Amino acid sequence: MRFTLPEIRRASLTSMVGIEARRFAKHPLFVIGVLAAYGVAVWASTLDTATSGGEVHVEGVLAHPIVPAFFIGLTSLVVAASLTRSTDVAAEAMGTAPGSEARRTLAVAGACVVPLVAGLGWLAELFVIVAVRGTHPNELWFPTVNDGYVWCILLALGPVSCLGGGLLGVLVGRWLRFRGAAVVAVVVVVAVDMLGQMPYAYDDDRASFRLWVPWAMFHAGGATEEELNGIPAYSQALLPGNPAWYLVYLLVLCALAVVGAIWHDRGARTPRVRLVAVGLLVAAIGCFLLAALTGISDVVISGPIDQAG
Amino acid sequence: MSVELNGVGKSYGGTPALRSVDLSLGTGVTGLLGPNGAGKTTLLRIAATSIAADGGDVRLLGRDPHESHAELTEIRRELGYLPQELGYPSDMTTFGFVEYVAVLKEWDERRARHREVRRVLDLVGLGDLAGKRVSRLSGGQRRRAGLAQALIGSPRLLVLDEPTTGLDPTQRAQLRRTLSVVGHESSVLLSTHQTEDVAALCERVVVLADGQVRFDGTVVDLVATAVGQVWLTDSAVPQAAVTWRTGTGRHRVVGGPRPPGAEAAEPTLEDAYLLMLGPDAAPLPA
Repeated sequence: MRFTLPEIRRASLTSMVGIEARRFAKHPLFVIGVLAAYGVAVWASTLDTATSGGEVHVEGVLAHPIVPAFFIGLTSLVVAASLTRSTDVAAEAMGTAPGSEARRTLAVAGACVVPLVAGLGWLAELFVIVAVRGTHPNELWFPTVNDGYVWCILLALGPVSCLGGGLLGVLVGRWLRFRGAAVVAVVVVVAVDMLGQMPYAYDDDRASFRLWVPWAMFHAGGATEEELNGIPAYSQALLPGNPAWYLVYLLVLCALAVVGAIWHDRGARTPRVRLVAVGLLVAAIGCFLLAALTGISDVVISGPIDQAG
Repeated sequence: MSVELNGVGKSYGGTPALRSVDLSLGTGVTGLLGPNGAGKTTLLRIAATSIAADGGDVRLLGRDPHESHAELTEIRRELGYLPQELGYPSDMTTFGFVEYVAVLKEWDERRARHREVRRVLDLVGLGDLAGKRVSRLSGGQRRRAGLAQALIGSPRLLVLDEPTTGLDPTQRAQLRRTLSVVGHESSVLLSTHQTEDVAALCERVVVLADGQVRFDGTVVDLVATAVGQVWLTDSAVPQAAVTWRTGTGRHRVVGGPRPPGAEAAEPTLEDAYLLMLGPDAAPLPA
């Protein structure tokens, strides 16, 4: 069969994205994840003990993005996988409609803007907390690194991880058909993230290799009473790497997840899609290398952060 | 012609499901009858572009679905299909499910789409249940929701696999009403085990058995094949291949020699079907 594509009906795709986005936002698991992320952010700020000038401040700002990544990103993985597979139960009827499986996949992928927005909302909440409580002078902001550095870390590890969790869920929903596949994917993602970076994170020579994982920490240390992994007590550390390129790397991985999910539809395996897939693979490798080989080259240790009590 | 099949064959793992089927359908309602495993669902799936035939020529709505993806999409733009088994996303309402299919069928403008969804839901008698989750509907109601999605856009070719499953007599009568209207301007191909539905609704009937067409003609002509071969008796006829005791207490006998004392009965479509494919029927050619 010749693959001559019909006219693309963008309006149809927009409508489908809207329907899927509403389903995503109303999914109980997603709602619980968002409430948990926003709630934990507030609760965690009450546990901070960093003091300066007699006042308690927000501590370890760059470590906070694990909260939305965990509560929103991982739940979004499960929700997106569920949404992707849910319309497959009516696959035979829907498969004979003009809208192809690839278009349905794109619609769920487009709906992953919902976890992205939730992640951005969490970031806004964090900055409200920081504005209200302030940060310790030795907190890793000025003059250790510039604003852009900090923004890239927060965006990459927070909202973009929420987006990435959802898109990974779309990929899992398309390709893995066994019961509990999404939960297995969550466990695998967490294991890969932990095991993929821990061996290198504190090694000056190899720390940048950790950046291949989809959620790589740039921050370590905090309110520990003893030295840990070479970080003095009550100090924080910035790990090597370039967070701007890491952010781009994650966005490329997000795009690859979408292409991988679309690839499941044989009718969508056009020369253009193949070209895009190859291009994204090359871009991912390039971005990883730039993230690993540029930016901060050594672990940067902050000054001591006074603790309350 | 809406559907043209010439020498169409389909096998599953070496087992033939359809053998060199020739069929042409135009506007109107055509019933597809046959025993389980006859190839009805396979034929319907080919007509609905759900699967491709292994051999032969298939033309749907004047187009060849195998020529290109664009041709296939053009066919699907004017096609409605109700599969034999249809699943439903558990979190969707009836309206939401039908609306989703409407979007897939490229009803882009929201107001027009909602109007169309309400129209088809009213057509199948689910207007009052639009806001109810599909998972909470009864089996018959879900079947009607499935029919509603097939009716979106008033397709020129409507393929329905056992649409009356789970419907009570009132709902079946409503379905007949709906399809008789649709059949004026579209081609409707439906399969069913209910011969009375075919008799009541279809101008034309195709009887399929063992992957081959055994009969293709009008309902009247099929019924005519049973004239003089159906009787009513007062007592049981144990040696008859097809016989049963009716609600009036008399015994109906289909086929075989005339039982002593029996009187001739007006044949029904079911009688003709049983004669053609029942236990007493002549074996099919290899």
